[in-house]
Amino acid sequence: MAREIYAYRCRLCDTMHYPFKMVCSGCKQNDFFEFDTVPLPKAGKLLTFTKVYNLPAQYEVATLGLGIVELENGMRMLGQLDIDEPAMDMPVQGTVEIVREEPYDNYYGMVFRAV
Amino acid sequence: MRDVYVAGIGITTFTRLEYALSEIASYASMMALKDAGVTEVDDVYVANMGGARVNHQTALASAVVDSLSLTPAGAAAIENGPASGGSAIKAGFQAVASGMDDVVLVAGAERMREVNNLEATDFVATLTHPIAEYIYGVTLPAHAAMFTRLYMDKYGVTERHLAMVGVKNQNAALNNEWAHLQQEITLEGILDSPEAMTNNPYVAEPLRFFDACPVSDGGAALILVSKEKAEELGRPLIRISGVGQATDTHAVFEREDPTDLLAVRKAAADAFSMAGLTPEDVDVAELHDAFTILEIAESEEVGFFPKGEGHIALEKGETALGGKIPINVGGGLKGRGHPVGATGVAQAWEIVTQLRGDGGTRQVEGAKVGFTCNFGGFGNNVVCLTFVRED
Repeated sequence: MAREIYAYRCRLCDTMHYPFKMVCSGCKQNDFFEFDTVPLPKAGKLLTFTKVYNLPAQYEVATLGLGIVELENGMRMLGQLDIDEPAMDMPVQGTVEIVREEPYDNYYGMVFRAV
Repeated sequence: MRDVYVAGIGITTFTRLEYALSEIASYASMMALKDAGVTEVDDVYVANMGGARVNHQTALASAVVDSLSLTPAGAAAIENGPASGGSAIKAGFQAVASGMDDVVLVAGAERMREVNNLEATDFVATLTHPIAEYIYGVTLPAHAAMFTRLYMDKYGVTERHLAMVGVKNQNAALNNEWAHLQQEITLEGILDSPEAMTNNPYVAEPLRFFDACPVSDGGAALILVSKEKAEELGRPLIRISGVGQATDTHAVFEREDPTDLLAVRKAAADAFSMAGLTPEDVDVAELHDAFTILEIAESEEVGFFPKGEGHIALEKGETALGGKIPINVGGGLKGRGHPVGATGVAQAWEIVTQLRGDGGTRQVEGAKVGFTCNFGGFGNNVVCLTFVRED
């Protein structure tokens, strides 16, 4: 089964959130966990990006591509980029993969590639 | 609400310091106590971001009051990311303004060079959203870089404009004996010559090495007092006339327009409104130039220039010493250094120095109104202050 990253839709007013908030930013009326989870779309276009050279100590790579992607449904997310020559507005497709490895934990997140 | 005055200021050299974090905070505080001429205070607020993580020291304020023989004064540490300093000043302001305290010591200190650069970068990155940002390896330079690319695309800011901010502020630090960077740089050396890519490599494209502030150790401190106490102490009457603080979304990508710094706009507007001032009234400003792009963007959001025109004002020299609104004449974070918890207090230290007329070769002639913008997170927690000299 493909891994997903979830958005949170308020059960009272349908406002979508990513990342999670305890109180809905739309109606501010809901109770804790009064959200439905909805998988984020994986296709979108690159809004902005960078290639980072000075990485936190855990990363044993020379550089890391990062970008903000505007997803098909209009929501945005940050992800890692596996793209040689990224450009603004470039169509991208994401998959959920390991984005950070710690001694006892692997963290999963979205990695985007050019379509 | 009572008026609140700055009666004393103190600072340490910003550099790599071989002293304990609490000693750095205490030294700056001792300077401020001596400057004000007080030996007792009602409350102490110490701003610091990384003591627990980087220096294995918690409860910093308790260490400071003890070291300075200020017990049994109340004491609390304030951790609010890079806006810790501004937040501690706000807490001290509220204590005096409310009438609860007459004399408050506000200090800020950081000792980031105890760890290597990679660990320091990671420690600062812990302020990002843990699930939606931090796990991806995002750093503050990465945030600033993605912001810069949007700004370049939308407003025509170029790498040359960024380098111009770097040259202006790093060279301004040569006039500030407390500043970390004491090396003159030129546009040729960091941008135009064949060696520029070697001298000034990318840290996070399109930001280069000289677009980022250094990692520094250092401390700064203020003594805040009531009007009655200020008159008794007889130091120049510098009043904190406006205080504004505002927040924005934790994850940067959630902002409707990611080139807007709404928390900067609101914090500045609130500070000016409280002070009964406008941006045109400001004679000297300290903006939070952790990255060169931020000086340009903040100069617009606080109201000195229309949105998208900060880089044009920079080109005209309006933000340099002698210009229409001199910004970061003591080097800013870029030249003075950025011990994160100390920065907000160090900005106030510079403004009070200027309003007292003690700026030496970097003095803005006749400065009477000063402004600081202390930018926390990547713009998600911002404190702005206005200062007025009363003669």
